[in-house]
Amino acid sequence: MADRITDIGPPKYDEMWPQYIKDNYGKWKYHEILEPGVLKHVTEDGFELFTVRCGGTRLMTTLHLEDICKIADQYCDGCFRFTTRNNIEFMVTDTEKLEALKKALDDNGNLPKGGTGACVTNIVHTQGWVHCHTPAIDASGPVKAVMDDLFEYWNSHKLPAQVRISLACCLNMCGAVHCSDIAILGVHRKPPVIEHSHLDKICEIPTAIASCPTAAIKPAKVDDYKSVQVNAERCMFCGNCYTMCPSMPLADAEGDGIALWVGGKVSNSRTMPMFSKLAVPYIPNEPPRWDTTVKTIRTILEAYANGANRYERMGEWINRIGWERFFEVTELEFTEHHIDDYRLAVTTWRNSTQFKF
Amino acid sequence: MPTVTYKGKTYEVDEDGFLQDPEVWDENFAHYVKDSEGISELTDEHWKVINYLQDYYKKNGIAPMVRIMTKVTGFKLKKIYELFPSGPGKGACKMAGLAKPTGCV
Repeated sequence: MADRITDIGPPKYDEMWPQYIKDNYGKWKYHEILEPGVLKHVTEDGFELFTVRCGGTRLMTTLHLEDICKIADQYCDGCFRFTTRNNIEFMVTDTEKLEALKKALDDNGNLPKGGTGACVTNIVHTQGWVHCHTPAIDASGPVKAVMDDLFEYWNSHKLPAQVRISLACCLNMCGAVHCSDIAILGVHRKPPVIEHSHLDKICEIPTAIASCPTAAIKPAKVDDYKSVQVNAERCMFCGNCYTMCPSMPLADAEGDGIALWVGGKVSNSRTMPMFSKLAVPYIPNEPPRWDTTVKTIRTILEAYANGANRYERMGEWINRIGWERFFEVTELEFTEHHIDDYRLAVTTWRNSTQFKF
Repeated sequence: MPTVTYKGKTYEVDEDGFLQDPEVWDENFAHYVKDSEGISELTDEHWKVINYLQDYYKKNGIAPMVRIMTKVTGFKLKKIYELFPSGPGKGACKMAGLAKPTGCV
């Protein structure tokens, strides 16, 4: 404990601001998007700031960071920032430097400009098979495959409004899947395997029981071992019990896969924030390119791009045309899995005769 | 599974040094853990916490919540950290031979 430094918190937020940000803090008058990936902010005094937004992979090496730092050193007084969707933003104060910076980024090749306006910006995603122990799918892999396919929407403004895509590799939903226009979610389809012989030794049985949202787990004596029993009829494969108890693994190569959710948003503009809702209950895991997932996401995105009015987010579009029409135009199959059956389910059913054939 | 040998006795532990079977626990194991936890000597206050954790675990099958532990032992969380620098989970529970804390820690 000698010489231990603690409770110092992060560096103050303005410590690493370039001087021109400090000088103009709180004085911004308006901004415009000059082209995909390039923003201009102007102050009351007429000071202009240009921002170039580049895609980030989120999972990156120190070598890549060094690359980013070099560009920042050369063009931006050693300053850059990360956005809340893990993009990278470089800032310059005159158009000459802006052109040089854009060229440097193009030459680099690993820092594609884009992610502004009515686009598909970066995918907020999780750990997947890179680091987590509860995933049903990978994160970095599907994200790369989807962004490859949708790259034309990354550096353009041809959508009705911005489309936020997120991915979570299990339904802990780390990140933003529950509130995104399109969400990719890892799901299981088989109940946990119980390792009775040592469950009691490394798990707290009451915790495992209490972790189940459908009360499918009960304490049981199996072969003289203190253990638990899972009622497979009640289990919906959430994996909460494995999170709490290492002796109840449920990952399965054939069982696990992807569910797609649509229509969530967090902003308050025009309509209230919305949760995303189930669009596709299951797509198999198809590493390394997840072809079916990629294709289905494109189908949904194109149906939205064709059908939505200007400024209309995915959820607003679906609410306007109705869910039955959404399934019609996307040609997605509507199954019994789409019908909510958890506790407050009745509020999601249709208590009305209004319906389109 | 790795094992550790301390004063002639062998314990099966996981990669984080948590005992694999709470039943194997003895005072000797607490002395073994204290070295890796940066504790020079186990005082009565240490034993008060360790014994309480053991009793609670035997009675309830779970480790107590921090608020319960501090209330019963009378040690504020700050004091717990003074006794066990790694905290109530990684420090005290490991020393008491309880199961490794789980969840999104």
